[in-house]
Amino acid sequence: MLLLLTPRYKALRNRFTRLEPGDGTKTLVLVLLGLAFWAFLFWISFRVLGYFRTIEGLGDLLALRLLSMILLTFFSILLFSNVVTALSTFYLSGELEILLSSPVKIESIYRTKFIETLLDSSWMTLVYGLPVFIAYGIVFRAGISYYLGLFLTILPFLMIPASIGILVTMLLVHAFPARRAKDIIVLLGLLFFVVVYILFRTLQPEKLVDPDAFPSVVQYLTAMRAPISPLIPSSWAAEILAPLLRKTRGEATFYLMMLWSTGLAGIVIGEWVSQIIFYAGWSRSQEGKKAMISRSRLAEAFFSVVAKPFHGKKQAIVLKDIKLFFRDASQWSQLFLIFALMVVYIYSFKLLPVDRATMPTFYLQNLISFLNLGMVGFVASSVAVRFVFPAVSLEGVSFWIIRSAPLSLTDFLWAKFWSSLLPLLVLSEILIILSNILLKVTPFMMGLGIVTVFIMAFGITSLGVGLGAVFPKFKHENVAQIPTGFGGIVYMILTMLFIGAVITLEAWPVFNIFSAQTFGRPISVLGWISIVLCFVLVVAINILALLLPMQIGLKRLSAREV
Amino acid sequence: MIKLINLTKKYGNLTAVNNINLTVAQGEVFGFLGPNGAGKTTTIRMMAGLLQPTSGTVRIGGFDIQTEPLKAKYITGFIPDRPFLYEKLTAMEFMHFVARLYEMQDSTKHISELLDLFGLPDWKDELVENFSHGMKQRLVMASALLHDPKVLVVDEPMVGLDPRGARLVKDIFKDLASKGVTVFLSTHTLEIVEQMCTRVAIINNADIIAEGSVEDLGRMARMEKSHLEPIFLRLTGGDEAV
Repeated sequence: MLLLLTPRYKALRNRFTRLEPGDGTKTLVLVLLGLAFWAFLFWISFRVLGYFRTIEGLGDLLALRLLSMILLTFFSILLFSNVVTALSTFYLSGELEILLSSPVKIESIYRTKFIETLLDSSWMTLVYGLPVFIAYGIVFRAGISYYLGLFLTILPFLMIPASIGILVTMLLVHAFPARRAKDIIVLLGLLFFVVVYILFRTLQPEKLVDPDAFPSVVQYLTAMRAPISPLIPSSWAAEILAPLLRKTRGEATFYLMMLWSTGLAGIVIGEWVSQIIFYAGWSRSQEGKKAMISRSRLAEAFFSVVAKPFHGKKQAIVLKDIKLFFRDASQWSQLFLIFALMVVYIYSFKLLPVDRATMPTFYLQNLISFLNLGMVGFVASSVAVRFVFPAVSLEGVSFWIIRSAPLSLTDFLWAKFWSSLLPLLVLSEILIILSNILLKVTPFMMGLGIVTVFIMAFGITSLGVGLGAVFPKFKHENVAQIPTGFGGIVYMILTMLFIGAVITLEAWPVFNIFSAQTFGRPISVLGWISIVLCFVLVVAINILALLLPMQIGLKRLSAREV
Repeated sequence: MIKLINLTKKYGNLTAVNNINLTVAQGEVFGFLGPNGAGKTTTIRMMAGLLQPTSGTVRIGGFDIQTEPLKAKYITGFIPDRPFLYEKLTAMEFMHFVARLYEMQDSTKHISELLDLFGLPDWKDELVENFSHGMKQRLVMASALLHDPKVLVVDEPMVGLDPRGARLVKDIFKDLASKGVTVFLSTHTLEIVEQMCTRVAIINNADIIAEGSVEDLGRMARMEKSHLEPIFLRLTGGDEAV
């Protein structure tokens, strides 16, 4: 088994020892950003837990309830992550052909792949879970027994979702015809997230920290004490850590044994199952598939209509991109995420307790509407980092077709731009218009929102296509990997700065015009000049955000060798 | 029709192609040979506009691939060594996509003819991801011929092809050459070079070490009337290893 893990280890070692020019800087920036996020998580956990401790009687209860919820969240994420990772490591990895044609036992392959799956799917949760757990230890002034208990808890806590995830993947691949399992897992996973996300929002967990939301103290305490579920391993982990934090007597040993025995049993059961169904499933995963729906006449008609506004070579690119999008489950299934994001976003505006605020409702509604501009920009850029930023990278290893064809890269990039802009524009306008209707804002704020979001969508799209061309990731296994790299982070930072600049520049003139309209305060000539200047600057920034990234992207992509 | 003038490509300290000069006339089938890592694919990718030369020029039909890339590409068909395609398109859709990139009108009939020619008529509505390596290679070849190129640049055409496919490709290249199409061919299959190529160049360690007809190469290696394989091995120093 150690031998089978060697290629992975050596590939990782080579990645760090054989850096190409520029890799060092990228790694440094990524490490610094990672550390900053780690520190931020620690700080926020420390502050929140510190605040809880100041609440007499209820504080510890709240903190421990939060711990249960965090562990449950981690467990759910790990479960999903392991299912997705297991599909790659157990069925889609290229080295499986070598392993399965070598005299290696299936159980050795299972054990190796188990470790790979566990490490790949858990390292991030572990790294970013640590600051939270350390914050708990410090705030509760826990002794060494807590940290020792934490160490002993984490390993089986990671092993259980890994063994369940692998088992689920093996059964899915066994049950469904060949590569369809991949589509099904992606789809199930996304639906799972969407449902959990919507449920989470509609349950409004923030009410737990708002005792006013409960009719009586007794009901509140009952809600707080209720265990999430005694059968879920995350509850066992909570039962181990809670007494160690509070230095009280509990049943930590019992629950620790539960975790370890379940974790080890999971591995043994997985090994048995793998001996029966793994090879057959892998063999079937090599078979082809059809994409029936996306090749139907109806779909064809839809694609033609969508590509109609484009002409010539640009139309060819757009048509090809649309077809590839709707035939790749890892791409189109992300639409569910957008749908969930939109529903929750608009639903949150419905829930806003504007009327309970101390400020005048009318004033607050319009203030929120203004801040909403930035929020919609943020949502649009979160969508764009998944859909627009990968546009160039999605050409993948087939990019030679574009480069060897008589197609200028300018036409290529602008085709990507326009086909990305239209859906982003529709999404952003729906969000701003619906949220403003719910907020009952003035016509001025509505108009401002519609126009600002309209012009910002150009910049957000251009940044996505342009930076996607600067940092293309042509060798990727699935689309979800593309925005997670260095380029994706740079895109998010620059987009935030762009949106921030637009909102900041609009704040002062909007405040003045709004005050003039609402409270009848006159605007001086100098005031008008400043207002016009601010709006001119907004337009200038948007023109810059539209043209500059595309130009830089074009230059970098032209210089790139295929 | 093809001119490589002082063409050089460097990757950092490594020189992949060192100041090579070649001229290929219209209607020639030109063989480009060399051991692994000699610089063949780098040269071919510079000719296709996929790599930028460090210095020197590539001219296709009189057009500089660096300064007039679109004009050069309109008259060139490129067949790479590895047939990476859009896996989620059908063969027919891929051909239509390529036709539109070359601004061809009413290409359906021509596409069907080419798919027939390359033995893919029953697969035209299948997704490319279901194709074998050889079938993908045949599809790439069909797409490269779609716009009736004047120059065909081919990197390892026989990899993955069955004997029937290989025979078909040989016949097609011969036919194209007889119609005035210039074929620039890089391959390890020396038998094909012997049968088809009017002239040959051998690249070794980034330099052109021999150029001429197969007979010329035989004389250079002092192995007249010999097959190309021993000639190639002697000229590239590979016979010492054998």
